[in-house]
Parts: sequence; C-alpha cells; structure tokens
Amino acid sequence: MSHTAETMLEVPRLPKTAAAGLRLTLARQILLPGAVAVALIAVWQAAIVLTNFPRVIVPAPSDIALSIAANRLLLLQHSWPTVATAVEGFLISTVLGAVLAIAVVSSRTLRDAVFPSLVAFQIIPKIALAPIFVIWLGTGLESRLAFTVFISFFSILIAMSDGLETVESSLLKLCRSLNATKLRVLVHVQLPTSVPFLLAGMKIAITMAMIGTIVGEFIASRAGLGYLILTAAGRLDTNLIMASIAVLCAWGLLLYGAVELFERTVTRWIGS
Amino acid sequence: MTRSASTLEKAAAPYAVPVEALTPETQFVSAQGVSKTFEVDGDTVDAVERVDLSIAAGEFVTLLGPSGCGKSTLLMMIGGLETPTHGRIEIGGRPVTGPRPDIGVMFQDSTLLPWKSALDNVLFPFQITGRSTRDHRDRAAALLRRVGLGGFEGKRPSQLSGGMRQRVALCRALIDEPDLLLMDEPFSALDAITRDEMNVVLMDLWQQFRKTVVFVTHSLREAVFLSDRVLVMSRRPGRIIADVPITLPRPRDPSVGESLKFNEICAVLRQKISDAHGHTAAP
Repeated sequence: MSHTAETMLEVPRLPKTAAAGLRLTLARQILLPGAVAVALIAVWQAAIVLTNFPRVIVPAPSDIALSIAANRLLLLQHSWPTVATAVEGFLISTVLGAVLAIAVVSSRTLRDAVFPSLVAFQIIPKIALAPIFVIWLGTGLESRLAFTVFISFFSILIAMSDGLETVESSLLKLCRSLNATKLRVLVHVQLPTSVPFLLAGMKIAITMAMIGTIVGEFIASRAGLGYLILTAAGRLDTNLIMASIAVLCAWGLLLYGAVELFERTVTRWIGS
Repeated sequence: MTRSASTLEKAAAPYAVPVEALTPETQFVSAQGVSKTFEVDGDTVDAVERVDLSIAAGEFVTLLGPSGCGKSTLLMMIGGLETPTHGRIEIGGRPVTGPRPDIGVMFQDSTLLPWKSALDNVLFPFQITGRSTRDHRDRAAALLRRVGLGGFEGKRPSQLSGGMRQRVALCRALIDEPDLLLMDEPFSALDAITRDEMNVVLMDLWQQFRKTVVFVTHSLREAVFLSDRVLVMSRRPGRIIADVPITLPRPRDPSVGESLKFNEICAVLRQKISDAHGHTAAP
C-alpha cells in the first residue's frame, strides 16, 4: 500500500553535487557558529554602550580589542610559558596515561590493586591540591608542569584502557588459536585498536592541560597568561584581564584544533 | 608448505583430489565422553554432555543444532580453546591440550583488522606469531584470487562487503595450511544469497585441498550441501542424537538443492531433529 503511494507521488530530488555538499558543510561548520559568535559580541557591545555600564567592571568588546592591540607584545611574551607548559604537560600526560593504561590492562592484579585508588584520587577536587604541589615541588616550572600532568592524564588513562579492552572477543580467540603471545597481541591488535580512543582522550586532555597550567600559574609563577591575569587584576585593569582571557581562548582553540587535525589525519590513515 | 603452494597453482585441474586425503578409515579427530559444564553466577550449565565422535582425515563434518545447543563449545574444545570438564579429545592421535598451529579457525564475524589491507589480514597469522610475512605474500595473493578477490588485495575491510570479508577470513584460516579447519557458523551473519555463494566458494576450495573440516551451523540445507556427514545435536545439554551420512555425489553444484535426493536427506534430518525436540521443526 505504502509502496504504491510512494511510486505515485514522485518526490522531486534536489541535485546534490559534491560542491553543493561542501558549501553546506562550510556553511554549517564555519559560518553558522561564526555568525552566532559575532551576534553575541554585537549584543554585548550594544548593551555596554547603550546602558553606559561602568567599563572597569565589564569592558566592551571594542575595549578588549584595543587592549589586545596595545599589549600585543606583552600578551605574546606571556603566551609562550603558558602554551609551552600546557603542551609539555599534555605530551607527558599522553605518554604517562597510555603507559599506565597498558600496565593496568595487562595485569589483572595491578588493575585490581591500583585502579580504585586512581579513581578515588580523581574524585578529589584537584584544584584544592594545587598549593600542595607548590610545597612539594617549589614555585618553579616543576610544580606547574606536575599539576598540569596531574589534571590531564586521567582522561588519557580512561580512554586508552577502554580502547585496549574493546577488542572483539572472537578476535582475541583467533589470536589464542594461533598461540600468539600476550605481547604480540598487545602490539599488533590491542594498541592499534585503541588509537581512536587515545585520540579522543587527547582532545579532552589538551583542554584540561590548559586549565591545569593556568591554575598552576595562579598559585605560583613569574610569567604566563595566568600571571598576567593576576597582576592585571591587582591593578584593576579589566581590559587586560579580558584581553588575556581572549588570547588564552585563542590558544586553547588553536591547540584543540591541532589535536583534532592530528586525530583526523591518523583516523584517515587507519581508515576505520 | 611448498607442496600446497604448487597445488594452488594447479588450479587448472579443479577437482584433482590428493589420494592420501581420501582414506576415510583413518580417524583424525576423536572425542570420547566429552562433557563441558560452565559456572555462570554460581549456577552450573551443562553445555555439552557425553559426546563421542570420530572424524576421518579429509572428511567434511557438520555439527547441526539449534542456537545455544553447545555445538560451538564442542568446536572450541576440539580447537583447544576450551577445556572439556570430562572426557578426552584427540587430533591425529595426540590429545588436545591447547591451541595448535595445525588448526585453522573461522568465526561468525570476520574478525579482520580494520587498519590492514585484505592481503595483510590474510598474512595476520604469520605476523601475530612473529614469522616473516614476506615469503607468503604470493601465496596469500593467490588464495585471494582463488576466492574471487583478485584486485582487492589492497582494500581495507571497510571497503569490502560482508561476503568479501568472510572470503578474506577464509583465506586467513587457510594460509598456514592447517590439517584441520574449524568453522563456527562462518556464514550465518550473511544474507541468503551471499551465503549460498560462500558455500560454493568453500566447496570449490575444499574439493581442491581436501583438509578435514568441522563446520557448525543451524541451517539444515547448508549442512546437507556442504557435508560428508551431519551430526545432529540436541538442545542443551548438547548431545549427538543422529549421525547422518550425506551420500550426494561430489562435486556438488548449487542446483543439487533442487534434486529429489537432497530434499529427501533434508526431510530425514528434519524428522530426526523434530523427534529429538518433541515438536515439528520449521521447514
């Protein structure tokens, strides 16, 4: 019945070419969020200007833009330690999280012994532990880096151990039937299977690393965007605070974008 | 190894059966009083109960039974992937104590590695056991051509259809030239048309290699088309309730399915199944 209805009602089909498809993705993925952001900024600007709101409390977007332009060298100079610490911490987290995941998945005993403590440790509000890192490791780079790693490695660990354990049971059976050693199964089957999971974990870890670095800089630092925000706050320089946050956002987006690009490249190469 | 490589190249004589494979009196696989009990949440489940069987070298035997009757468990015990609770299994006169390299296994899902090409998937048994894959590349490619996948060597599993993936899995199971091939419902996830095609591909290969095959299925017609002998299993706990020789001449053509004899054998099997289960099985 429905079949006859379908054949009778000839549905006009839109010509869908590859170029049209690309235009559609471009519109959806770039223009749409861009337009929303621009609209929000415009509303913000208009609200501040029209209500004559005190700019020391909330600066207008135009003030922030001017501050960025005026302090561009300062912002760039303070970006470097922050970005470097975040990236270093992120890389250490990735290696540490992946190695821990392999260890935990490879040994049932280790898993049972360590995993509950690791989870319990993660439930503590980690920011509350930041001052402890300063007591342990001093006010130098070490404490900021350690805190960054501490705050970001867990997402890698969880994602990676999930990935290592998603291998189909029949595939593991096949490996067993071939008398394959545990190490070879890990290297040739489990590790490649876990790559997409690791990449997903890395996307979370890079944002966490950014947070960890800023918190670390708040606690103890002599440079970095976190330091710049604190000193600007001391001088009630709201424009510079907002400018620093804007630059921080830009770096965060850039780093996240880099990880996502890396993910896409690897995924295409794996071809899953 | 080289012996079989040359057999492969002799594809021109399709049904040349090696004489040594056709000695049905030689018992190759045997099971005596094999039972398997699983512990599930404190309960004991009898999966397989007192199974005796004997399979000759070069014989194609199918375990036929409903889902969950323990036929896969029995197959895995033959392959050394499960240990019997009681009883004893021997292959080539030696008791099975674990997985053996002279057994090839194939599962319901193709279990191919998605990041590897079809060719590298066929070579996986060498890679995962640390042997060189280089010496076997030509043979793997020849096997793929043999199952109709010439030109698809470099394709990833995601670029292949379900039937093609199972062909790759079949090549992988055969690449190390096993004396025994264990097939656990290898085609039951495929659609009926692809499944029939796969049966023809398998028959074609088997006519040439004539290795011992133990095949598990719940499809009556598939069992009859492929096998020399069908062992019917009961519902859980799985026991062998009938041993039916399939006397259809070989090589078999798909059209054999329309023959009177084929359908008579199916009727006999169906009767045995319904007798055992106490109700009429669906046609």
